[in-house]
Amino acid sequence: MDVRAQLVMVFNLDKCIGCHACSISCKNIWTDRKGAEYMWWNNVETKPGIGYPKKWEDQKIFKGGWVADGRNLRLRAMGKGGTLLSMFFQPNMPKLEDYYEPFDFDYSNLYGAKEGNDQPVAEVFSQISGEKMAEIKGGPNWDDDLSGSQLYAAEDINLDDKKIIEEYGTMFMQYLPRICNHCLNPACVASCPSRAIYKRGEDGVVLVDQNVCKGWRFCTSACPYKKVYFNWNSGKAEKCIFCFPRTETGQCNACAHSCVGRIRYVGVLLYDAEKVEQALLKPDDQLVEAHRAVILDPRDESVRAAARKNGVSEQWLEAADKSPVYALVKEFGLALPLHPEFRTMPMAYYIPSLSPVLSTLDDTHELAEHGTFPALEKLRAPIGYLANLLAGGNREVVTSVLAKLIALRGYMRDKNLNQPADESILTSAGLDEAAADRLYRLFTIGGYHERNIIPPQQREEQEPHTRKGASGFGILKKPGRGK
Amino acid sequence: MLNTFIFIVLPYVALALLIFVTPYRYMTNRLTWSAYSTQFLERKTLFWGINPWHYGIIPVLAGHLAGIIAPGTMKSFLANRDTLVLLESVGLGLGLFALFGCLVLLPRRINSPILKRVTFASDYILLILLALQAASGVYIATFMRWGSQWYLHTAVPYLWSLAALNPRVDYMADFPLILKLHAAGAFLIVALLPFTKLVHLLFLPIGFLKDPPLLYRWRSPVVKGE
Ligand code: SF4
Ligand code: SF4
Repeated sequence: MDVRAQLVMVFNLDKCIGCHACSISCKNIWTDRKGAEYMWWNNVETKPGIGYPKKWEDQKIFKGGWVADGRNLRLRAMGKGGTLLSMFFQPNMPKLEDYYEPFDFDYSNLYGAKEGNDQPVAEVFSQISGEKMAEIKGGPNWDDDLSGSQLYAAEDINLDDKKIIEEYGTMFMQYLPRICNHCLNPACVASCPSRAIYKRGEDGVVLVDQNVCKGWRFCTSACPYKKVYFNWNSGKAEKCIFCFPRTETGQCNACAHSCVGRIRYVGVLLYDAEKVEQALLKPDDQLVEAHRAVILDPRDESVRAAARKNGVSEQWLEAADKSPVYALVKEFGLALPLHPEFRTMPMAYYIPSLSPVLSTLDDTHELAEHGTFPALEKLRAPIGYLANLLAGGNREVVTSVLAKLIALRGYMRDKNLNQPADESILTSAGLDEAAADRLYRLFTIGGYHERNIIPPQQREEQEPHTRKGASGFGILKKPGRGK
Repeated sequence: MLNTFIFIVLPYVALALLIFVTPYRYMTNRLTWSAYSTQFLERKTLFWGINPWHYGIIPVLAGHLAGIIAPGTMKSFLANRDTLVLLESVGLGLGLFALFGCLVLLPRRINSPILKRVTFASDYILLILLALQAASGVYIATFMRWGSQWYLHTAVPYLWSLAALNPRVDYMADFPLILKLHAAGAFLIVALLPFTKLVHLLFLPIGFLKDPPLLYRWRSPVVKGE
């Protein structure tokens, strides 16, 4: 048993209101720079839809992630030889148009324009070439709220039954906020010929060393989530850094901190690094189970002892014990990995959405009897769709999560209305009263310190002499002249 | 005079710059150590330029280096006339391929507005220099046949005499101007390497080839199991 700790984020999709506050706070802190204008380390897309960059989920286009062929995992795109032969021209790299050409408006024209017959307008210009743009052809959330058409939704690769969106009035939609998943088996790391991308041992954060990266660009397509970006100005790759300067001091990530819907949870998971590869060899529909099997119980004494042996501190063990993430992902089994079939073992988990609670009945929709929930299979968001998104196509996994969510709501509704609450509602879905209490708090009134339990890094314990005199985080150069 | 400049001053200056500036840049500013690929912004034309260029120039460069490193082996290898003809024709083909690549890349920089912000004087200088170098190489391969052989008896001993700090310009003195320019171009490229994006040439993917796919970095010194 090789026990390691990982910082993990969980998203409760029912609560996301699609406000993009997360994206903006991330942009303000990290990517408001030359070369990074088009990057959205955190983005929110509308599902069904094609997302950002366009069609990122379609691995026939970008060839990201891993495939399991018999007894081995290999990168889908190419092996080491192919990589070295493709260094000059990387065939799968997403191009600018797959994202969008970043733009801004020339506001100075509003007050500087010559007097004339027309109102002056702030003309749009490209943030790359600086030239005026005749037309804006895309943006980071171009198909937001389905963009008023079914065109984007119909292109969603997870949608088996396109009929569902033919009639606009019967469509469903939900939001999907995405960051880098800081995977346990990151394809970005494996694809880098410079070995610039690494996973931090202590907290699992995946980073690009800007000193080592030489801009070979394989990571940008190897990541099946398209969460490594090429900075056209610096000629190097960049990605979400899980706000490590914040988490190291016990604060939660900027996106989670600013989240208006309070949908995000950040905490520690302990996992067995030895089991990761084996788990990923399982067929697609068993991958959620395999994910859960890799995650270890932080209350198990043998796990704790093995963790201590690997240098996991008491503070981290305590955080793992209280972790909201452990509760949601493993203990109550509500949060699911996004596209586990890409086989990077993503460490961001999603609680599938239950709303809208309208059910489908033949061609029409009917509101379920007031206050109650429609039968599972009549929920408006098709189970098959959620299964393709979050469970490698396994419908049972999604059904069981939705059943738990419905049971929880029914039970708490009775309690709130001072009606006799029937625990059997819970037990039949696999929960109990204590679980309901915990989940209810997490989903509703739980505050910042309940939703985010992030142990600070013990930097003072780690070679303080090497840090002495260093200036800030990131590139640790001593100030002034000399070494 | 010209000979002294091209065959003594230029190579030593180039070598000194390579040896001293490269590590200095490596240690002080690796944030600019990149191939500065523009594929992200423009890929259609790039494909027809960058591939011919690299696939043409790398084997040609390797051929030049092989002659320097192992002249004896190369001599016996080329003693066979068929091999010599084959090598010469393949070399010429690859040179033309590389030249074609350069001639695609040069107008690409000029014509694409989106590349304006990522194009600097050094990009043009390098592209023009490399195009001239490829062109003079193609000229030499065409009109001064059996270069792969006479190269081993002239330029190679001259280069070794450079290394021995006893430059024998006489090996090169009687060549036509075009060949001298080809040599000067080569030294100039070496001299520019540490200052430009050409540093991307200094890359050996040893770690990539031998490491396990996943890379961890631990802040604490405790050695962890793989
Ligand atoms: S989501 Fe992509 S960039 Fe992030 S760790 Fe996984 S493979 Fe790498
Ligand atoms: S801030 Fe929260 S609620 Fe708003 S879009 Fe982002 S994840 Fe959704």
